[in-house]
Amino acid sequence: MTNTTEFINHLASKLGRPTPTETPPPVEISVPQYRLSNTEERASIFLQNWQALGGKGAIVKSDNDMLQCLKEWFGDLPVTWFKDNPQALIAWDMLPSIAESAFSTLNWPLTRYTQSSLDPRDRYSIAAHAELGITGSDLGIALSGTIVMNSDPLRGRAVSLLPPRHLAFIETTKIRNNLFEVLEEISALGTPPAAIEMISGPSRTSDIEMDLSIGVHGPIEVYVVVTDN
Amino acid sequence: MTMYNLTTDQRVDKALADNFLRQATRRATDRLRNNKYKASDELGNWEEWRNAGETIRKHVIANLDFYLQQLIEQMEKRGVHVHLAKTPADAVGIVRNIVREHDAKSVLKSKSMISEEIHLNHALEEDGAAVVETDLGEYIIQIAGEPPSHIIVPAMHKTRQQVADLFEPIAGHALSSDTPTLTRFVRIQMREQFLRGDIGITGCNFAVANTGSIVMVTNEGNGRMVSTLPRVQITLMGMERIVPSFRELDIMLNLLARSATGQRLSSYTTILTPPKKSADSDGPEEYHLVILDHNRSEILGDKLFRTALNCIRCGACFNVCPVYRQLGGHAYGSVYSGPIGSVITPLLEKDWKKWGHLPYFSSLCGACTEGCPVRIPLHDLLVKLRMRKTQSGHTPQVEQQIFKAYRYLFTREKTLRRALRLGAHLQRPFVRNHRITGGPAPLSNWTKSRTLPMVAPKPFMQIWADLNNKR
Amino acid sequence: MKVSLFATCLTNAFYPEVDLTMAKILKHLGHTVDVPEGQVCCGQIAFNSGYVDDAREVARTLIDSFERSEVVVGPSGSCIAMIHHYYPTLFEKEPVYLKKAEDLIHKSYEFTQFVVDVLNKPDLGAHYKAKATYHPSCHATRLLGIGEAPLKLLQHVKGLELLPLPEAQLCCGFGGTFSVKMPKISEAMVAEKAEHVLTSGADILLGLDMGCLMNISGYLEKINKPVKTMHIIQLLGEGMKS
Ligand code: SF4
Repeated sequence: MTNTTEFINHLASKLGRPTPTETPPPVEISVPQYRLSNTEERASIFLQNWQALGGKGAIVKSDNDMLQCLKEWFGDLPVTWFKDNPQALIAWDMLPSIAESAFSTLNWPLTRYTQSSLDPRDRYSIAAHAELGITGSDLGIALSGTIVMNSDPLRGRAVSLLPPRHLAFIETTKIRNNLFEVLEEISALGTPPAAIEMISGPSRTSDIEMDLSIGVHGPIEVYVVVTDN
Repeated sequence: MTMYNLTTDQRVDKALADNFLRQATRRATDRLRNNKYKASDELGNWEEWRNAGETIRKHVIANLDFYLQQLIEQMEKRGVHVHLAKTPADAVGIVRNIVREHDAKSVLKSKSMISEEIHLNHALEEDGAAVVETDLGEYIIQIAGEPPSHIIVPAMHKTRQQVADLFEPIAGHALSSDTPTLTRFVRIQMREQFLRGDIGITGCNFAVANTGSIVMVTNEGNGRMVSTLPRVQITLMGMERIVPSFRELDIMLNLLARSATGQRLSSYTTILTPPKKSADSDGPEEYHLVILDHNRSEILGDKLFRTALNCIRCGACFNVCPVYRQLGGHAYGSVYSGPIGSVITPLLEKDWKKWGHLPYFSSLCGACTEGCPVRIPLHDLLVKLRMRKTQSGHTPQVEQQIFKAYRYLFTREKTLRRALRLGAHLQRPFVRNHRITGGPAPLSNWTKSRTLPMVAPKPFMQIWADLNNKR
Repeated sequence: MKVSLFATCLTNAFYPEVDLTMAKILKHLGHTVDVPEGQVCCGQIAFNSGYVDDAREVARTLIDSFERSEVVVGPSGSCIAMIHHYYPTLFEKEPVYLKKAEDLIHKSYEFTQFVVDVLNKPDLGAHYKAKATYHPSCHATRLLGIGEAPLKLLQHVKGLELLPLPEAQLCCGFGGTFSVKMPKISEAMVAEKAEHVLTSGADILLGLDMGCLMNISGYLEKINKPVKTMHIIQLLGEGMKS
């Protein structure tokens, strides 16, 4: 164990000057960034890129659209899941209202992750045994087909991680052009949350003979509903 | 661990005789390289991104003391335990203590090159903790007891059948060798471990100084598992792995994902600003950051090699290197292989006897330099390492003599002319069909696999002189 | 223009016809050609092996021999790259020679670069009927940034069919002393290069660096594959005879 001052002073001596007392002036960065002209375009490119990564996605404009979309994707599966596991759908405490009302109309009861148990290990186990994890998202990135989620006491990071399927909701207006804009927006909020998760498609690996294989650890199927109102 | 006991020559022979390895290396590097080209071309201004990347890295390294201090302050302010390790042994000791204090039985690891650099697993296992590598590639080589053969695709050298054979004893039943089966096996097998893990150890792709954040990218999601589920997390970072703020992070993440695998962003990019808020329902309660020096400060103080610290460990230089292409990673003998491995290993380990061969694992073709997203002049650094080795007297006597003779002759054109005439005579016994087909060492190194042209009866300088005297 | 030839140590000793042909072509283009005495080698062999002090003296000899030249042209991308890329570091502590080195850098060119980019003479009126492929040598391409010049010269040779070389960007494994210091790795590399040359279907392999060509041809010969290797200068010279 070395103390910090000693460690830092050693570096300063290697650099041949005392450690600056103020933040060095930031370097100039000027790379032309990827930009789309409007929200609609961003939503459609986002979706296209998300699908190219192997995710499923749709833009919904009404409550009815939403119902149709969920039915089309999951059909009667949730009903089958519930037979074995009443906690098959695990979700954040709060989802966008259009999603909340769709689930109640469909009568697919949601288990709220944070309230599912007091013991974290139990919660992990519940999430791991769930069939579908359901979350919102704070931001999206059109260029890379990415959803961005900040951690929060009412959420739970495991919801988008442990179940074999992950369904996320995002509003069209939350989709940004590129990573730069997203990082800028997050840093404007001050201290970042404990975790910011950026997810681009399903879990993948090419570690065996460079053969692409989906779902080694994280979700195998990923779904995004882009809501446009 | 066999390859650690072989000589360089034996490792090279072994690699060259391994056809699967060589084919797999070709296939993998071709794929990664082509993906990278697609991902860099689509930006339309890759060179500008590279410039930005280089500028940022140089700025960080030139102010490393400031940014590290800032990072440490930010971290400690929030209750993260920051540990500074001068040496690999220090770092191992620190991690060992944490594991012991928590009496941890199960340690989960997501990919960390630092843990390879300090040879961590072995030490923890000695203490009786089960260490599980959770990255599929790392898991495979952990079972096989081998070091990574590629910085991004560590088990590139294994066939699916070999992987199936390695998994079978763990599965307790036969496994078919198709990738989906193998992947599914790992998913199920690893699930248990994730849910039970006591301590998570992760690497760190970037640390953001002004927010005190750790950025980690993975494609499998194991990095998220390891940083979400265990109650205690340890992150290992090389002390140079810093960006000033989120602003620069954008550039670096783009360069990394695009150069490493040709993705626009990796499947999972996680920015941790630990520890968890008390009301958060998951994430580690206790967070340790171990910052490793291991002679990085020496490199920092060495103007000739400082740029070596700019590396973002993307592996792009591996994928264009014609030497790596023929050998794969194990022939290098070092934890870090490929061009950047040949540069940093001698600098980190400071042992010419053991690592003196590495600067010569390059034809100096410059492909690495051309491919590096942060413009590290890798092939120049390799030449400079050869220079260091030569100047510190670690090159063979014969070689020194040869270059003395070279200097003598090649500064005296007329004398050289006479020497060439002599050579034209001496070569006769070795000439067949106007080609030289044999000769004494070190010439024989060439003639074993190639012929040489004959020394011309008259060198050009003589021919020219003769022509002009006639005029 | 008065052009001074840099007869590189390799062509001087093994391939004098390359230097000679280069002289002929430049004369044919109406320039006065001289070959300053005392010149030998750029010093790269020693430099790349880490023997910087030995390299520096060899480089100094070269600088001295071209001190009074207007323009210096050599038949090798690698040697010219050595001058351009490394001479400034080599003489960083010697202001007088640093100045001279910079002077040499400004006036020295690789042959194809000189003919196409400086003289603007991509068409030398050559005829040569053959199927050929071209290996872009690493130092010419990556250190000097020579891309189009040699191709432009070749495209203007009547009768020449230029076939693509697969994985052309791969180094042939020569690397100067690399080929004797790491002979097995070098052999594996040249074997792959030869494989690509053979699949290209060409009868002639062309290049602008005799080092690489000596390596590839030496290997092709050892494995008894009858692909001819020629410096672009040699092909142009032959083609201009008719
Ligand atoms: S040296 Fe450059 S190309 Fe190689 S791993 Fe580091 S950043 Fe990537």
